[in-house]
Amino acid sequence: MEQTLLAAALAVVAAAGVAAAVLLARQRRLTAELRDQNAVLAAGVELRDKELRHLAAVRLPELMDSLHNPGMRVAGPLHDLTRKAPAYGQSLQTVMDLFAGSADQVRARADQSAKATLRAMMRAVQSLANEQQLAISTMQDRHDDPEVLDGLLRIDHMNAQLGRRAQATAVLCGSWPGQQRSASSMTDVVRGATSRIRDYLRINLEGPVNTAITSRAVEPVVLTLAELLDNAARHSRPDTAVEVNFRTAHNGVAITIDDAGVAMDAEELQRATELLSGEASADVHRLGDPPRVGFAVAGVLAARYGFTVSVDSRSPYGGVRAVVFVPSALLADVPDDPRARPAASGAGAERARSAAAPDAPSTEHGLPKRSRVAVADRTPEPDEPDTADAPAPAAWAEPARPARETAAGLGAWQRGTRSGRAGTPPAGTPVPPPGVEGKDLRP
Amino acid sequence: MSRRRNERALVRPHVVTGGRAHPSRNVFDLVTLVISAGDLPRTGLSPEKLRIVELCRGGALSVAEIAGHLSLPVGVTKVLLSDLVDSGHLTTRAPAPAARPSRTRLLQEVLDGLRASL
Repeated sequence: MEQTLLAAALAVVAAAGVAAAVLLARQRRLTAELRDQNAVLAAGVELRDKELRHLAAVRLPELMDSLHNPGMRVAGPLHDLTRKAPAYGQSLQTVMDLFAGSADQVRARADQSAKATLRAMMRAVQSLANEQQLAISTMQDRHDDPEVLDGLLRIDHMNAQLGRRAQATAVLCGSWPGQQRSASSMTDVVRGATSRIRDYLRINLEGPVNTAITSRAVEPVVLTLAELLDNAARHSRPDTAVEVNFRTAHNGVAITIDDAGVAMDAEELQRATELLSGEASADVHRLGDPPRVGFAVAGVLAARYGFTVSVDSRSPYGGVRAVVFVPSALLADVPDDPRARPAASGAGAERARSAAAPDAPSTEHGLPKRSRVAVADRTPEPDEPDTADAPAPAAWAEPARPARETAAGLGAWQRGTRSGRAGTPPAGTPVPPPGVEGKDLRP
Repeated sequence: MSRRRNERALVRPHVVTGGRAHPSRNVFDLVTLVISAGDLPRTGLSPEKLRIVELCRGGALSVAEIAGHLSLPVGVTKVLLSDLVDSGHLTTRAPAPAARPSRTRLLQEVLDGLRASL
């Protein structure tokens, strides 16, 4: 009895032990599983935590910088999120995209309004500079005292630079260069550009070229050349010259500008090429301080009018060689200049005829032009066909006016003088002598 | 280069004279006559100077007329002309010889006119 009880108890204990052991083993397995799961979850949370911190501290700021500086690389996520947490990675990317999109929009809007304001301001400055230029030109015509002229030339030079600055800024802000000009010879275009820069005396123009630029492209090319020449002069020593050359190609003309300054490094060159291609939109926020507008303006104008500007070659003097290539479409024949011919070679014969005669020299508006008096002892030059049939001495041999006509003229003059004196007080305007004709050059 | 009156000159005068306002010689007034002096080589002359030499090939021109032909201020023209006289391309001549024959003829005409009206 006792033994059976003991055996039963032992069996119970053994069963309980076995059960406990089984339970314990299961428990341990469960615990291990849970611990593993926990570890995975903790790692996941830590990964997301790190990614989020990385996003806030590194990726978004870099993204913001890259909007101002397109060449910059933006850091990616720290971990391989597409494998570890695809949904999370996707969400982060959405945040990045939204951020970039809205920042871009804000920037574009700010850029637009800044450009509109600048454009309006520059328009006022430009028109003032133009008016001032006209006033200066009028004064230059009026005063031929060297002292006054010296001051006027200096004011004119400064005003030309002022006008160029305003014009360049306006162009950068999307405005047109303004100033419609007639087709001008290549030489005039380069010299026009030279007029508008500070160190104009250092520009050395080599050899003429027998082409002109069509009227609509004159001002843009002048402005582009002015900016490039100014860059060249500013980035080279003041005692060196800037050489300008023309090279005729089969489909256009290349204008090369060589300076003896410092060459650009790779980064500057890349930025310049980007700006000159005209593809990168010129951004008024990214011009730097002091603003560097030269290449940006050249790029905008080149893209708009169809010529090309490049600065990627070295000049033989060690500096930069800028090349402006003007295609045939923007070229024209040299404008015919009637004044380039020797003026009124048959002057002696022509002078005797009536000023209203059909073959008398006249201006383009049909007004008779004063032809000059030949020097009496001058012999006609053999290369002038006009003088062969009507030599100068013939003018003196021809019969004088009919005496009656002269008398009538004198009488009219006398009557006019008398009536003029009778009408006005003697302090009035003096009667001009009868022989004076032609325009008064000194008002 | 026949430009409208209100069109600004593309090449400004300071580039034309190289910034100089004082002529190298003070012999010019508005009616000084300038004539070409032989065929010197024209290489190295600026476009404006070439035009002046070309204009004067046909005979004497006054300073005022040259300035008018070139659409340049008279002061600027004087600087260019004195350069050209210095380089031997041009010579100056006082206006008197040109005036003498015409004065004789004018006097003759006045005399004839007075006689006819008497």
